[in-house]
Amino acid sequence: MQRREVVRYLGAAFALPFLPRNADAAIRLGEDLHRRLTDTSFRTLDTPQQMLVTDICEMIIPETDTPGAVSVRVPQFIDLLLAEWASDEEKAEFLAGLTDIDARAAAFGVQQQGQRRFVDLAPAAKTELLTALDRERGAKSGAGLAFGRLKSMTVYGYFTSKPVYENVLRTRMYFDGYKGDVPFTAAR
Amino acid sequence: MPLTYDAIVVGSGISGGWAAKELCEKGLKTIVLEAGRPIDPNVDYVEHVPPHEMRYRGMGDRNRIERYQPVQRRCSACNEYSGKFFVNDLDNPYSTPDDKPFMWIRGRQVGGRSIMWGRHTYRWSDLDYEANVRQGIAVDWPIRYKDIAPWYSYVERFAGIQGAKEGLAHLPDGEFLPPWPLNVAEQRAREEVLKKFDGQRLITQARQAILTRNHNGRAACHLCGNCERGCITLSYFSSLNATLPAARKTGNLTVRPFSVVHSVIYDPKTHRAKGVRVVDGNTRTMFDVHAKIVFLNASALESARILLNSKTAEFPTGLGNSSGELGHNVMDHIMGGGASATLPWYKDRRGLGNRPGAVFVPRFRNVKTAHPDFVRGYGFEGGAERGDWSRGTWMSGFGADFKKALISDLGPWEMTFYGFGEMLPRHENRIEIDPHLVDAWGIPALRVSCAYGENEKKMLDDMVVTATEMFEAMGAENIRPIKDDNPPGLVIHEMGTARMGRDPKTSVLNAHNQMWDVPNVFITDGACMTSTANQNPSITYMALTARAVDYAVGLLRRREL
Repeated sequence: MQRREVVRYLGAAFALPFLPRNADAAIRLGEDLHRRLTDTSFRTLDTPQQMLVTDICEMIIPETDTPGAVSVRVPQFIDLLLAEWASDEEKAEFLAGLTDIDARAAAFGVQQQGQRRFVDLAPAAKTELLTALDRERGAKSGAGLAFGRLKSMTVYGYFTSKPVYENVLRTRMYFDGYKGDVPFTAAR
Repeated sequence: MPLTYDAIVVGSGISGGWAAKELCEKGLKTIVLEAGRPIDPNVDYVEHVPPHEMRYRGMGDRNRIERYQPVQRRCSACNEYSGKFFVNDLDNPYSTPDDKPFMWIRGRQVGGRSIMWGRHTYRWSDLDYEANVRQGIAVDWPIRYKDIAPWYSYVERFAGIQGAKEGLAHLPDGEFLPPWPLNVAEQRAREEVLKKFDGQRLITQARQAILTRNHNGRAACHLCGNCERGCITLSYFSSLNATLPAARKTGNLTVRPFSVVHSVIYDPKTHRAKGVRVVDGNTRTMFDVHAKIVFLNASALESARILLNSKTAEFPTGLGNSSGELGHNVMDHIMGGGASATLPWYKDRRGLGNRPGAVFVPRFRNVKTAHPDFVRGYGFEGGAERGDWSRGTWMSGFGADFKKALISDLGPWEMTFYGFGEMLPRHENRIEIDPHLVDAWGIPALRVSCAYGENEKKMLDDMVVTATEMFEAMGAENIRPIKDDNPPGLVIHEMGTARMGRDPKTSVLNAHNQMWDVPNVFITDGACMTSTANQNPSITYMALTARAVDYAVGLLRRREL
């Protein structure tokens, strides 16, 4: 949590017209504040873009017997990178690419009962379009570029999230010496 | 009143830490003047902080780094965790000619760059110490391997160096701790390369200043793999982890952070240094420190800068510059040629543990036969590992199977050889004081004019060829040649600005790192180097420092200084 966010939210709390009168109210206020402090709103992606990014993130890494990209808040991480990390040019390219994904979906949609945006497509059509975009992910602009970056950020954001780092990968920091010949079989 | 000590050490990095330890252990009251801040390992070491505790998950505060560290960011270790160990480029300016970029990577804090160094430690041999005189390049080293071999042993025993003895004359074995094993893929690569190249090319374990067992009060490495962020178990060698604590134990050590040394104070009557002039890093006020001996260990460029800023009537171009060589002969290594490839073996095997370094290929060019295109040689660093989840950022696919593969499976073995080669000394590669530039403390800053020559460029080309050949010979697949166009400086092995030599007319230092012109000033950082060899230089700085202190204190005790 960044200091400026804490200050902003605490400022909102102090502006409340009354202070909690009892312990329960104080706890509720505390919980509400905590929720707001940890649930940073999107700052770059507007609502349709959030829906699109959220949809594609979850398709890249879906919820299975382990958490999916959305439940570990990958879309929020992507929004953070767009807001604070990406250059203006990179952000513009990415957002233009998202628009292009919807345009591709619209073209798709004409054949699929006139639906217009990616999020409106039927699951099979979404998969078909993403499969095409995955082949174009090295593109320098447009839908392929947006998908390529979305995929990179999704994988990175997912595997570096706390729940996945700790409970799925069970990342080890300590080893008793290096072992260079350990049997390995991929889990089924 | 000036502060007065027996000895001054300027800088607290690899060589400054050794100077402090040796001087203190020999009974001299010693002050270490460090330009940067103190480091508290309990706060500043962040090697075990997981990515989700970092705002950008380790990707760095890009806007801040681009604004304040446009040069430092070229070093991969200058990241979200370790960027704090690299200087603010705006406070520490230097200039270059437009056509000669130079990446000066610096760390100003107690511990200096020994906190983030690469930890590879290879002895040099007479193939290196005799190279200049054999080829008529620059000047002869005033020492040979036999002069420094016992000092290599001395510093290795204290620092703790892991390595495999290979019996190579041109890469002498040291006092090694047992090394980590090669992994199964590297072992096979070693065998294939040995067979195909008739024993002339060798893949061996990287020799590293990282402990494989408890040693001198420091714990064995636990292979978290994040050395550049610090090490709370003190398992890799740094001045902060090893030499400064040893110096402190004597009761003779004073470390003064925020002490930016401006110049050496020269006494023309005695022809000795009185001490140094210092700018307090916080208050910007100046003060003097006096001592019988001064060791300059501020790094190759900084130590020479201090001398270039120490002009006197007797030395109008910089203190101790009667030879005219001070600030000249700037060298780095050249890196960037090599290859990566996929090894189609052992899909049922993996390595376990995050090694910070893996393999080394010792120099094989110009060892027994002369190469037609270039003199000297290069080695490769590298290693083989199986791909982890991060391969998902570039591989095809999405969905449940894609996710499962990243979680439950590993990619194939991927191996890389990345070359590090020797750079020849050239008089025209130089630093000088830029008359129009000062740093944040008002101290005149440097203009660096340094470029690689044809010999280095041909060597870089050859790195690509030989790395590719080795992969082809071992039956690797998907071979990807690498040729990075790195500017000098980026290897972070700056050397040569106050070279050692046999003749005061052509060198700044004698065979004991003592200034010919100012006998109580010693320089034992990269400035002293007469050539670069291709091996990483730090263990040689350490050995030269311990040797020079022994000599200096002997002179002092015999009242010959």
